[in-house]
Amino acid sequence: MPGFRRSWDALLAALVLLAVALPAAAGDYRELEQEVREFTLPNGMHFLVVRRPEVPVFSFNVYVDAGSVNEVQGITGLAHIIEHMAFKGTTEIGTSDAKAERRAMVAEDAAFAALQAERRRAAAADSVRLAALEEAFARAKEAARQFVVSNEFAQVVENNGGVGLNASTSSDATNYYYSFPSNRLELWAYLESNRLAAPVFREFYTEKDGPVTEERRMAVDNNPIGMLVEQLSGMAFSAHPYGHPLVGYMSDLNSITRTQGDDFYRAHYVGNNMACAIVGDVDYDEVKRVADKYFTRIPGPAPTPEVDTVEPKQLGEKRIVIEHTAQPLVLMSYHKGSATDPDDAVYEAIADVLGQGRTSRLYQGLVKDRKIAVQAGGFSGFPGSKYPNLMLIYAVPANEVEPEEIETALVAEIERLAADGMTADELAGVKRRARANFIRSLRGNMGLARQLTHYQMITGDWRNLFKQLDEIEAVTLDDVQRVAGALFAATNRTVAMIRTRDQGAEQAAAR
Amino acid sequence: MNGKLRIPVLALTLTSLCVTAAAPGWAAGRGGRPWEKIKIPSLGDVQIPAYERVQLPSGLVLYLCEDHEFPLIELSATIRTGGIHEPADKVGLAGMTGSVMRTGGTASWSGDEIDATLEAMGAQVVTWIDTEGGGAYLSCLSEDFDQALAILAEILASPRFEPAKIDLAKQEQRAAIARRNDDPASIAGREFQRVIYGPDHPLARTTEYATIDAVTRDDMVAFHRDHVGPDRAFMVAIGDFEAVAMKAQLEQALAGWPRAAQPLPADPQIPEFPRTVNVVDKSDLTQSTVYLGHLGIRATDPHFAAIQVANRILGSGFASRLFVEVRSNRGYAYSTGSAAGTGFRFPGVFAAFVGTKSGSTQDATQVIIDQITRMTTEPVTDEELQRAKDGILNAEVFNYDTKREILDRQVLFEMCGYPPDFLQTYIAQVRLLTPEQVLAACRAVWKPENLSILAVGNRQAWDGDLSCFGPVNEIDITIPEPAPKFEVPNATPASLEQGQSLLAKAAETIGGRGIAGLKGWRRKIQLNATIQGMALQFGIEEAALLPDKLRQVQTTPFGSMTQVVDGQTGWAETPRGREQFDGERAAKVRESLDTDLLRVLRDRARLTCQALEPIELDGRRYDRVVVTGAGGHYLLYYLDPETGLPAIEETPTESPVTGSPVLQQTVYGDYATQGGLNVAHTFTIRHDGETFATGTLESFEANPQFDPGEFRQD
Repeated sequence: MPGFRRSWDALLAALVLLAVALPAAAGDYRELEQEVREFTLPNGMHFLVVRRPEVPVFSFNVYVDAGSVNEVQGITGLAHIIEHMAFKGTTEIGTSDAKAERRAMVAEDAAFAALQAERRRAAAADSVRLAALEEAFARAKEAARQFVVSNEFAQVVENNGGVGLNASTSSDATNYYYSFPSNRLELWAYLESNRLAAPVFREFYTEKDGPVTEERRMAVDNNPIGMLVEQLSGMAFSAHPYGHPLVGYMSDLNSITRTQGDDFYRAHYVGNNMACAIVGDVDYDEVKRVADKYFTRIPGPAPTPEVDTVEPKQLGEKRIVIEHTAQPLVLMSYHKGSATDPDDAVYEAIADVLGQGRTSRLYQGLVKDRKIAVQAGGFSGFPGSKYPNLMLIYAVPANEVEPEEIETALVAEIERLAADGMTADELAGVKRRARANFIRSLRGNMGLARQLTHYQMITGDWRNLFKQLDEIEAVTLDDVQRVAGALFAATNRTVAMIRTRDQGAEQAAAR
Repeated sequence: MNGKLRIPVLALTLTSLCVTAAAPGWAAGRGGRPWEKIKIPSLGDVQIPAYERVQLPSGLVLYLCEDHEFPLIELSATIRTGGIHEPADKVGLAGMTGSVMRTGGTASWSGDEIDATLEAMGAQVVTWIDTEGGGAYLSCLSEDFDQALAILAEILASPRFEPAKIDLAKQEQRAAIARRNDDPASIAGREFQRVIYGPDHPLARTTEYATIDAVTRDDMVAFHRDHVGPDRAFMVAIGDFEAVAMKAQLEQALAGWPRAAQPLPADPQIPEFPRTVNVVDKSDLTQSTVYLGHLGIRATDPHFAAIQVANRILGSGFASRLFVEVRSNRGYAYSTGSAAGTGFRFPGVFAAFVGTKSGSTQDATQVIIDQITRMTTEPVTDEELQRAKDGILNAEVFNYDTKREILDRQVLFEMCGYPPDFLQTYIAQVRLLTPEQVLAACRAVWKPENLSILAVGNRQAWDGDLSCFGPVNEIDITIPEPAPKFEVPNATPASLEQGQSLLAKAAETIGGRGIAGLKGWRRKIQLNATIQGMALQFGIEEAALLPDKLRQVQTTPFGSMTQVVDGQTGWAETPRGREQFDGERAAKVRESLDTDLLRVLRDRARLTCQALEPIELDGRRYDRVVVTGAGGHYLLYYLDPETGLPAIEETPTESPVTGSPVLQQTVYGDYATQGGLNVAHTFTIRHDGETFATGTLESFEANPQFDPGEFRQD
């Protein structure tokens, strides 16, 4: 909506998008549920198909159950690098000579390993040798690049009328998606299965040292909100990998090798770890036919590495205060259950009343009544929802208001909700909003495809998409009271804030 | 247009493409391109959904399209208005008018009631005005439509502009100003507009504390009245309704929305602004954001289609030259690309951008300039052209994949004066383009030698100072401070002496010994105020016996009220009954006696009265005296240097309507002798610069007779 956005709205919207689509769900819209058809390939890859024949187009989403949560120290950011690699082509797409290219890439890997070994010696490194290794690596990169047909995969998609070609990595998953005219179903099956089954991580080092690193700079290092969010999740999770930065630590980005990328890919990109939804003018039998023909090449079923680490109970409030040139911001989080927690709908109800919209407790209290903030809200499911996660609260202080005052006001509203629960009217509003928002969310082909795969992979059954409304409907005031009391304990809280550094005073001191 | 239009979508297969565009060398060393062997059946016809266009008697143009897939209704109005029509010293007026229309209540409901009603039913209603246009949007379940429409209709027709919500909007604007340098992308976007159009152009100017402070409620009421009417609006309705019934319902619901009171102002002229090279130095950044560009063309330009295609080759999409050169080959950026620079209403801005690490700022800029130059010096290859055409033609069906998109496009064409089949004509032109035509268009429209440059980053860490592109101008993005709040300075013997002498002169002109001997007064005042859109009249009859007795009878449209204070005690009688004052309330009423101009002049010797520097306001010069000790706040008097008479009295107080702090100014006029003193007969009360009330003095008598029971409780 043009003009309705202010600068931080856009940033906060981006922040909200980090959380996977907020659940919402069905009442009398079961017809759509009846139209979802499904099948599973022998490799375990699950397909969901919804026919919507009005316009001869379709949208798809491939959900790969591998995100930054599946990384370990040393390879943070790798799930995101793999997402970028998926646009670099395959053994058949994007190369002028796959075999020669393979040999050149092996040499390139060796050159990087040698350089990296010298770099690790840090201060003891031999500068002449380092320069020689740098140059050798640059030559090896250039040699491999000779075989690259740049961006051919994207070119084929775009030339054929594909729109919205993109992918996204979250803490939980990596998603690949675009839309095509419906006469290109088989071409799609070839292209998509090819990049999932036979990708070549060409231009690996150029990509991670270039665009992937620049993305980190843009989203985190040069963006106060992104920086604060990264600090908060890193602090809230001391053991669970939800604490990893999505775009990786800069040092990990520098040191990650293509071999580590291959290992990660082989471990996670197997059929049983993926789901694909196709929504649009497609025929179920035809989808099944092309899936059998092309997607069976993806390996699987095979066991995938699981995250068994459970975040230990937080024993006391955690806090970081960053002195920065930017204007103040306040974030706050509370640990809560996962998407499959029996109280998931209760968490959603609490987040809604507390932090969604102009009548929410936080907006009403801090913005409208006390006039100390210009934005205040919160949502559930950060940074992911597959594992126990966070309810995230945020506020943008009005000018001249200190972040500590905002924190006190946020805590007061939260503790009021914890102590007294919500009113019957508030809970009724949650249920009505859930219904309207759920119906809205079903409209577009892409939105539906993404929701179906999300529910399939996070909860094990896409039907839970349609059960969400029933679950919200079943929430009682007692549930809210019970859950909010434990959720909002002070010991469960993490606070991250930016305090504006007084540059005038600093300059004066420097003089 | 009513009925079904069928558009055949060209099923251009990649197989046919490769016959004409074989790339020599590609196939060498590998087994061809397997995807080219996949058969692509012809694409079914696109069926344009039935829709209807009508113009209501009010001038509103309405597009209706039924869609029964879900029980939802969506209205989306485009309003031909914008910040381009606001005065330069009130930038932000249009935007705040657009937002407070929605948040600030209507004739029937307060803003908070509207929030509660809409959110309780999960409905969305939004209004906005940005630089170039405005709009309104409604989305709700069809069962809630009647209620949601009733609210939207009042928002459009009779917004209340509650002062508290205006305060909130101003607070948001001020916060946005304070934060506008926190995000390098927003700095670059904003400053680039100023580089292209000039800093004061309506399409580039920015809100500042001063322009936000200058906007009053009256301005918003006027902007809405003058610029937001059905005769300026195009509305799209899509959803679960019957078109005939919906048309009637909308016509009836929106019947009360008056036409815009002013004729549509002309669009601002777009100047050719000279090319410049600009940097914003921000030392805490590790990445530079660079924009390059110049003014573009309107879609009426004969080169429109060729420029769209050229831009697809240059900088739009994963396969474009900029993406390949800047991102893939050099690894300089995550984000890079270009915008064609074509606009439907105004000429667009041809622009290329990159976000790159500090150390490659200059080189990345050079690469982009080289790529743009190449577009204007050598023809694109047949293969590139074919790919770009395929991309546009094969994706043609996506121009029709949602009803909203189809109708919004028709609105855009109608509003900007394009034929309804503009898109089809464009597609036909794309199909026929040759490399020579694309080159001719690039040469005519894109001027590499004329690219202005704006770079935001840590200049010290760059690979060059950009002076190779021309003389570098450093832009200072320091935010102009808000006008300082008045603070009473520390007194000096000289300022105190002069203050006393200025007030002595005022007292002399008003009454001389009459002031010194003033014991009390009776006066009658007639007051006219506009509160939340209602013009109200109040009468006030006052009897004052100094130092601490006051009786006021206020006649209001809602009944009369009497309040009396006698020293520490007091009471009020209202239509709701009698109320005893506590000490605090009594003190508050007494304060209005303590701060009365006549009382201040009489008692000036015991007050702190400092002269300030004289000031010029609206071409007139005033002496100034600030008085403390009369009440809780300071009183600042602007005095006529000739007569010594107080012309303006300024003091911080609380708004009787919202309770929030305001700066109150009372402007005194028509001094004339009555009842023994030379007193003002007209006055205007302003709150934060906005007229709150006007009044006239109907009668005045100094030192009258008082009834002994007048200040006693009976």
